[in-house]
Amino acid sequence: MSTPFIILIVAVIVLVLMYNSLVAKKNQVQNIFASVDTQLKKRYDLLPNLVASVSQYMQHEKSILEDVTKLRAKANQANLSDKEKIDLDAKMSAALGSIMIAVENYPELKANENVMHLQRSLSEIEEQISASRRAYNQAVTDYNNALEQIPTNFMANFMRYTKKEVFEINENERQNINVKELFNTK
Amino acid sequence: MKSKSELTDYYYRILYPTLQLLEKDRVQLSHRLITVGVIYTILVVLIASTIYGFLKNNNVFIFAPFGYLVGGGIIYNYLIKDYTKEFKDKIITPLIKALDKNLHYSPDYHVGNHHFTNSKIFTSQLDKLDGNDYVKGEIDDVNIEFSDLHAQTKHKDAKGNTHYQTIFQGLFIVTDFNKHFKAQTVILPDTAQSTFGDYIGNLLQSHNMGRNELVKMDSVAFEKEFVVYSSDQIEARYILSHALMEKLLLFKKHSNHPLSLSFVGGKVYLAIAYNKDLFEPSIFHSLLKYKIAMEYVGTLHLAVGIVEELKLNQKLWSKL
Repeated sequence: MSTPFIILIVAVIVLVLMYNSLVAKKNQVQNIFASVDTQLKKRYDLLPNLVASVSQYMQHEKSILEDVTKLRAKANQANLSDKEKIDLDAKMSAALGSIMIAVENYPELKANENVMHLQRSLSEIEEQISASRRAYNQAVTDYNNALEQIPTNFMANFMRYTKKEVFEINENERQNINVKELFNTK
Repeated sequence: MKSKSELTDYYYRILYPTLQLLEKDRVQLSHRLITVGVIYTILVVLIASTIYGFLKNNNVFIFAPFGYLVGGGIIYNYLIKDYTKEFKDKIITPLIKALDKNLHYSPDYHVGNHHFTNSKIFTSQLDKLDGNDYVKGEIDDVNIEFSDLHAQTKHKDAKGNTHYQTIFQGLFIVTDFNKHFKAQTVILPDTAQSTFGDYIGNLLQSHNMGRNELVKMDSVAFEKEFVVYSSDQIEARYILSHALMEKLLLFKKHSNHPLSLSFVGGKVYLAIAYNKDLFEPSIFHSLLKYKIAMEYVGTLHLAVGIVEELKLNQKLWSKL
């Protein structure tokens, strides 16, 4: 076998491997986003019930409750992009965090079985969402790295792959965790 | 559950009279062992040289040391048997009861083979599993069991001789986990990354045969110490919350030995490689020494303390 031919075969193998790894990374991001999405939906499904249960008590937090309802309506629209879903989730987490904290100020609510049930379900889902967000962020980081690193960046450029956004894990995330811990203790 | 200092206090105050008696036995035993050892050695040398005198065969000097070690081991174990039993009955048993009255101790049993295999921590074929000092019970409604384990795998060398190689020796703990999960997640000490650096280490880890997918965790400190493999990227992170990762790092620091663990079938399996048989009585060092006492008290407290330290008692609401 002549040398140029061997070089050609090696080059083709390298290209195929690069292509496959990029595709695998892109699909990993999509797969994990699908799970994030399912869990976000699960959370949105609980919301009408929560809002209905607490609204009669929470007079001062009407605006937050309205926000939650509006955000939910938005989230239920079809054809949302991944980025829009990520933004909505951040807003929703912040709003829910405030509701959870506000519940503390209403002894009637804390004693209400239904509200407690919802709160616990929410905090469990919240933990699952947090895990999927972290998994998603790692998948996106791997994908984005491949897009920028040599030699995969040339291939990615050729395939017209663009960088993806990660979920902000911000301060209100930590607040949520604190609230959660309150309810997880027996 | 008692704290470590309360337990140390118990060891030195309540158990002190017993310890003093045992200490006397220990001194006598150590003298007896030395005397028997010297006589035994002289005897073996005499017998070996006599046989050599008759046979004039150099093989005698190959088999003599081997026989010497095997025979020595049998004699040693025979001599310390009563002392060991007494130590376990009079010191370890009350110590465990003092730690928590819901714990039960069986000196001769060990954690079952199925737990060791189910844990998926070790990929080598298990051929021999020994152990002792089995403790089982409930701490804050969380089931826990642990024991000393020595797991070995068998392999044949080029000459066809069978050898046993240690897979794991140390403390093996099984407890319930406080969250629901379906996937299998294994967490091992990170040797590749600390030896070869981040890039090559990661590359090696992601191509580890016989393991699930590599899970990169978003905690630099945790990634430095451990490597995580799981059949589910999301569930691995659901189990390993930031809080739990911090607690595991702390637990590893306390145990001061290589720590591997896994989350399989609703249970947490922890393997702490001490590489020696634990909870055995000291023979050539005083039982009253603080360092010796801490080995018993510290190890027991570490094992039982896992429930509190990892907050396994804070069950998720749907698991109540």
